[in-house]
Amino acid sequence: MKKVLASILMAGSLLLGGAAANADKSGGTLSFLVQPEPPTLASYISTSGPIGLVMPKVYEGLFDYNNDGTMVPILAESYSASADGKTVTFNLRKGVKWHDGKPFTSADVQFTVMDVLKKVHPRGPNSFREVTSIDTPNDHTAIFNLKKPAPYMMRSFAAYESPMVPKHLLEGKDIKSAPLANNPVGTGPFKFVEWKKGQYIRLDKNKDYWQKGLPHLDRIVGRFIPDASTRTAAMENGEVLYAAYNAIPNIDAIRLKERDDIDVTTEGYSMINPMALIEFNTKEGPFVDPAIRRAISVAIDRRFMIDTIFFGYGKPATSALSSNFKATNLHAEMPNYPEKGDKAAANAILDKAGYKRDGDGVRLKAVLDLIPYGEDWRRAGEYLKQALGDIGIQLELRYEDVPTWLKRVYHRYDFQMNVNYFYQLPDPVLGVHRHYGTDQIRKGTHFVNSSRYSNPKLDALLDSGAGEPDAAKRTAAYKEIQQILADDMPVVNLFELEFLVVYNTKLKGAYGSAMGAYGSFREAYLDD
Amino acid sequence: MTRSTKIFKYVGKRLLQGIPIILAIVIINFFLLNLAEGDAVDVLAGEAGSATPEYMEQLRKKFGLDQPLPVQLMVYLKNVLSLDLGYSFRHDMPVNELIYDRFAATGLLMASTIILAVGFGILLGLLAAVRLNTWKDAVITVFALITYATPLFWVGLMMIVVFSLNLGWFPTSGMTNVAAFYEGWDYVVDVSRHLVLPTITLSLFYLALYTRMMRASMLEQYGQDYVVTARAKGLTERRITYVHVLRNALLPVVTMAGVQVGALIGGSVIVESVFAWPGLGMLAFESLFARDLNLLLGIFLLSSMLVVVVNLIVDIIYCFLDPRIEVN
Repeated sequence: MKKVLASILMAGSLLLGGAAANADKSGGTLSFLVQPEPPTLASYISTSGPIGLVMPKVYEGLFDYNNDGTMVPILAESYSASADGKTVTFNLRKGVKWHDGKPFTSADVQFTVMDVLKKVHPRGPNSFREVTSIDTPNDHTAIFNLKKPAPYMMRSFAAYESPMVPKHLLEGKDIKSAPLANNPVGTGPFKFVEWKKGQYIRLDKNKDYWQKGLPHLDRIVGRFIPDASTRTAAMENGEVLYAAYNAIPNIDAIRLKERDDIDVTTEGYSMINPMALIEFNTKEGPFVDPAIRRAISVAIDRRFMIDTIFFGYGKPATSALSSNFKATNLHAEMPNYPEKGDKAAANAILDKAGYKRDGDGVRLKAVLDLIPYGEDWRRAGEYLKQALGDIGIQLELRYEDVPTWLKRVYHRYDFQMNVNYFYQLPDPVLGVHRHYGTDQIRKGTHFVNSSRYSNPKLDALLDSGAGEPDAAKRTAAYKEIQQILADDMPVVNLFELEFLVVYNTKLKGAYGSAMGAYGSFREAYLDD
Repeated sequence: MTRSTKIFKYVGKRLLQGIPIILAIVIINFFLLNLAEGDAVDVLAGEAGSATPEYMEQLRKKFGLDQPLPVQLMVYLKNVLSLDLGYSFRHDMPVNELIYDRFAATGLLMASTIILAVGFGILLGLLAAVRLNTWKDAVITVFALITYATPLFWVGLMMIVVFSLNLGWFPTSGMTNVAAFYEGWDYVVDVSRHLVLPTITLSLFYLALYTRMMRASMLEQYGQDYVVTARAKGLTERRITYVHVLRNALLPVVTMAGVQVGALIGGSVIVESVFAWPGLGMLAFESLFARDLNLLLGIFLLSSMLVVVVNLIVDIIYCFLDPRIEVN
């Protein structure tokens, strides 16, 4: 038995029909900020943020997602899943051409998922881990065969997460060093033209785009401006019209928001779900005892951090999962996450666990490492030093450059506690499991379980959470997962970061996708 | 031997002497840079979010980073001697190409800055020395002191606030107008407009330096015996200043300018960053954090060559400024 998702088709055709009706939107160049300059353009190898800003305009995914979570058909027109969830059939769009004129077919989908994403993509092996093979009965049908049902897979088809790449330009080559990387050929609304190092990436309108009437813009230029104040000035001057992922720092965004021609939104990050947190070394050093980690979670005034350091943009964490997972009924509020911090309770926990204060009121000393991604994190470190000092934990702050820090935390485990942020992505399987599973203790791999927390009971729950097709059972599994994590606290989640998009109000139509800045901008236009 | 053949031989000898110096610089830089924790693979993998150790090992092998250091050095030296600066793994491009691409922007900024700073520095220093202890001298000295003491990034930002945001005369940043993609003559005008603010900002600092130096140097020369002699001969003050004193006073300023050409590549990092000027300084700065050692070594090699060449040019200018100095 198959259930066809007609609502997807409806939503999609309405959206596209509405956009195509207006011809007067066409023309113009959008220049926007890309910060920092990307290391390569191979979005099928690297999920690095700045690549995500550029490449989804060139490569497309099978689906896109709206802000309310509905799927928008892009290269796939619809999909259907078998009753046991082990076979998923995609009906691909007809008449789609790569930028070099070759037709897009099911063979491209098969090749992309099996030979590219499952092998060289950082998150692909996880997103498609249950996919054993893909059948291509004809050019417009791709049938995914799964070992186990994988409900989370349907959230990972956006262009940023799983870009479809041309088989004819990669087949038989070493995928990691193929020339396609920096000469991308996609199916998207914009064609790659030029990457002037240190200056800009230029994309021009794809005149043969499969959706007639789109895109509206003639050209998109991603500019690199290393200095934050200059980026702000360029925005004020109208030289750039769009800036996401805090390319304009919050401190300036607050000021720019007051202008008539510039506005700010927090939308467009719900598929990313960034969470600020503290990782602990649970194997050695002062934080082996879960009681201390719990006390730290209880002591921190999350509201203060958000309001003072991030100018009010953020939501206090209430569990190990982001509250955005409420939409899929996976999030549950947990104890040990007081919004404003409760130092008396934290002190009580430490007293009870037997950590005595010495003559200076110090119970224990530790070094706090800080993610080297900017001033905000240093300030967060300074706050933590003070707040934890109040409960007798004396901190020394350490701020190193990116390679040194990565080596310390993920190669040598030579740290005690580490402020960081993780993308929880559209499903816990994709973004949260890597933090806690025993199989995710992978020395030398970045942004996985650096706490080396290992709990067989939790591992079993994570497994059932990943493969459970029944929504109610899945909810129950994640509730238990969150309870264990709120108790053991291998990671103290601080707050859900709310990144900003700062944009010039004459840029319209660029805000509907849940992928936000990682979207295609095919419906964006300039309203002069 | 005539003077020109003498200079010719001298240049040849100095260039030959430069080769071991540059090689030594390359080797020292190589080991210094390898002292830093982490390598290009760590950074690439870190930015990608997650990557397996096997994948990272594979990358290291591909980049040749799995070889012992002395082997890596020999390979690098061999490449350098055949004028190949290696491959930048981060940019996925040959280093030669990357540097060539950026050098034009740096060269443009450097040349216009040197001309502006040295030219105006000499002029202002001269004026201050001639009008010693008048209001003109005071204004110039105070101006030089303030610009010398002001941080470059602040000057840059203030320039943007005043001339881009408030007056709208110049663009805030970049080298070209990316919305327009001008060609031909329009392109030249466009680049010049973008060049104005970075040049002024970078010049101000050096301008102050040359002004102060020129003033001091002029005053020192005024006290020399030959000036007394010239006065005794009955030469006008004008002739003494412009023909005799000026020429001698220029020597230290030229020396200083020569030394600073090398520093300008690195010293422009701040200005390049503030104005998003796509030069070598910024490239070097980014490469350091990306542990892109091949690229970094290439840039260092280029700047050491530049310093050797410019110092040679300065030495030759000496003997034109002061015929008593001979090359040999």
